[in-house]
Amino acid sequence: MTLARLCLVAALTLAACKKDGPAPDAPKPAPKGLTVGLVTDVGGRGDQSFNDSALRGLEAWAANQKSLDGKYVALTAEERKASVPAELEARIKELGIKPVVLQSKAQEDYQPNLQLIVDQGADLTVGTGFMLENAVETVARQNPGSKFLLIDSPVLDAKGAPQALPNVRTVVFKEEEGSFLVGALAGLVAKEKVGFVGGMEIPLIKKFEAGFRAGVKTTNPKATVLVQYTGSFDNVGQGKQAAQDLVSKGCEVVFHAAGSDGNGVIQAIKEARAAGKAVFAIGVDSDQSHLAPEAVLTSMVKRVDLAVWQAASDLKAGAFTAGDQTMGLKEGGVTYAPVRIEIPEKAAVLQKVEALRAKIIAGEVKVPSNTTDLESFTAPTL
Amino acid sequence: MRKALPSILSVISAILICFIAAGLTRDFGTALDAFTAMLWGAFGDWPKFLETGAATAILRPLGEAGTKAAILTFTGLSVAVAFRVGLFNIGAQGQLAVGALAAAVVGAKLEAPGFLHITLCLAAAALGGALYALLPAILKLKRGVHEVISTIMLNWVAVSLIDNWLVIGPLRAAASGDNSISGTDQIHATAELPRLLGDSSRLNLGLVLAGVAALATWLFLTRFTRGFEWKAIGLSQDAARASGIDVDRGFLEAMLLAGAFAGLGGAVLILGTELKYPATLGAPWGFDGIAMALIGQGHPLGVLAVSTLFGGLRAGGTRMQLFGVHKSFPELMQGLALLLVAAKLMWERLLRTRGTP
Repeated sequence: MTLARLCLVAALTLAACKKDGPAPDAPKPAPKGLTVGLVTDVGGRGDQSFNDSALRGLEAWAANQKSLDGKYVALTAEERKASVPAELEARIKELGIKPVVLQSKAQEDYQPNLQLIVDQGADLTVGTGFMLENAVETVARQNPGSKFLLIDSPVLDAKGAPQALPNVRTVVFKEEEGSFLVGALAGLVAKEKVGFVGGMEIPLIKKFEAGFRAGVKTTNPKATVLVQYTGSFDNVGQGKQAAQDLVSKGCEVVFHAAGSDGNGVIQAIKEARAAGKAVFAIGVDSDQSHLAPEAVLTSMVKRVDLAVWQAASDLKAGAFTAGDQTMGLKEGGVTYAPVRIEIPEKAAVLQKVEALRAKIIAGEVKVPSNTTDLESFTAPTL
Repeated sequence: MRKALPSILSVISAILICFIAAGLTRDFGTALDAFTAMLWGAFGDWPKFLETGAATAILRPLGEAGTKAAILTFTGLSVAVAFRVGLFNIGAQGQLAVGALAAAVVGAKLEAPGFLHITLCLAAAALGGALYALLPAILKLKRGVHEVISTIMLNWVAVSLIDNWLVIGPLRAAASGDNSISGTDQIHATAELPRLLGDSSRLNLGLVLAGVAALATWLFLTRFTRGFEWKAIGLSQDAARASGIDVDRGFLEAMLLAGAFAGLGGAVLILGTELKYPATLGAPWGFDGIAMALIGQGHPLGVLAVSTLFGGLRAGGTRMQLFGVHKSFPELMQGLALLLVAAKLMWERLLRTRGTP
């Protein structure tokens, strides 16, 4: 108790110092424009995939800034060009918003962090990832005047059924559609066997698997798909082990949907290539080509960045609406990254994949999103 | 009071060192802003309250600080009571996980009226934690396995078993369609620990329970024969045995109590704020308990005081991010304070030379 009291005294002293200090006469830049806050999940900044994608949408695209040693600096023209993909260049405009980002150390930080951002007067608060679902729901209920964006999950009630809150927009992605295209590509590149490494065995990841399997089945019906789940999203070693196992069983292309475990998958493929095997990896969420340029065939890109930017853009235009959104191929929510390596008959292969994309967008092909639908899936003719 | 001086000085020095470190890596103005924000986040944003009159400016930070303080107190007590008989319980994290899961399962699967339900959940958590601490105790008494090794190892056994299997497997909550939900089923409203300051603050009964536990432990250790026996065992096993104290029983009881406290810490986390066992159990509360016990010098009330302080600092620490200061500074302070407390000799020499010039 003494310590607590001492600390209070220290606090008061500090506060007193602060008043006498030069702080007040250094005028803070007047808060013009909107503030958009974002709470990462425990993956945090620098995960090379999911959280970094959300941060890109907020910091680089919407605010034209990057975080450097805890301070924001403006992006140069080249950096901005490198960050925004070519097909979105015309659409993505700088919004002049102020980003506030809080990282979470643990599950129990989600709720206080969201609340703290609301208390900072944020006009929109983004919760990144389905693990924040509960926290977003609670904070949104307690602050009916604030707006929220939840990525990767609808708001669920205690029984797990979706429910609508008047101040929450939720965005989920049709991961199965993007996975279908990379599956089709894998089927065209591989002859007999392809592999899939999943993280936790949850419905979200099953969507990737189902789409991928359907894609392989479409372009290479004879190929077998071997599947491994690591049970985590933050264990590089397990991902590597799973990929090594798949390669030793003869898989020629391995797709991962395993968060940080996937960095291990890419590592394993890179090593297998160095040992003389002709194998490829397919990355996930962000374009992961830079992790191993010669080994990564493509990546199933999930445009979390676009969802975040879009919400900020709508907010600025006064057009922010609550409700559940689903972003698939048609909406540009998922796609695959440019194939930068040389493969036999590259142009013809990519043409086939693009034809499939057109069919999905036109609604001619319905991609299965779970194992039950996968069983009744009939592959379209190429 | 004089005995507590090294701890107090260590904590103050740790805070000062961190402040200077933050000042040197940023600038001192930013560091001052960040540390002030942390203190407001820890013990209530009084300036904002006086300015706007919004009670939430104080109640919310207190709620966050209080919930963290309660868990730290329980895990700190867990390490401290084992330490009393000379055992080093590094297994509080595993015991906490088992207790948390027990509370989550009883809270979700069982239906009972309010008061009874909470009691049952707490009892299940304490029992779960105690049983999990029984393993290393038996290993020590029957096989002579050193408790430091067995308790460390059993942490990972518990975490792997629960986080990597039960919570994502048989006990995972079901969601409709292709939606994913993390963690176990939500507990019933009857099992939630009542909030003390209304809906805007998460401060709950857990802090009161922690305070009562610390007080009761202190009374037990200082005013009861058994408490005295534990102390004797801790000071010298041979001397205790020679004077007719059942050392093995002391070990067993102390480990059971240690496990029960860690389990209760888990229960407070689940019943107070999380309301289900999350996908992964976040912060390493059990390991932090070691720091709480050592900085608090194994004194139950010392543990309570240190936990209150660090619970607050850690709750407020997240606000440092608003000024671009890294979120881990409270942990850094905690680690430094621990290091300085360990340098006990230094303080003793410093204090002595000042006392007698």
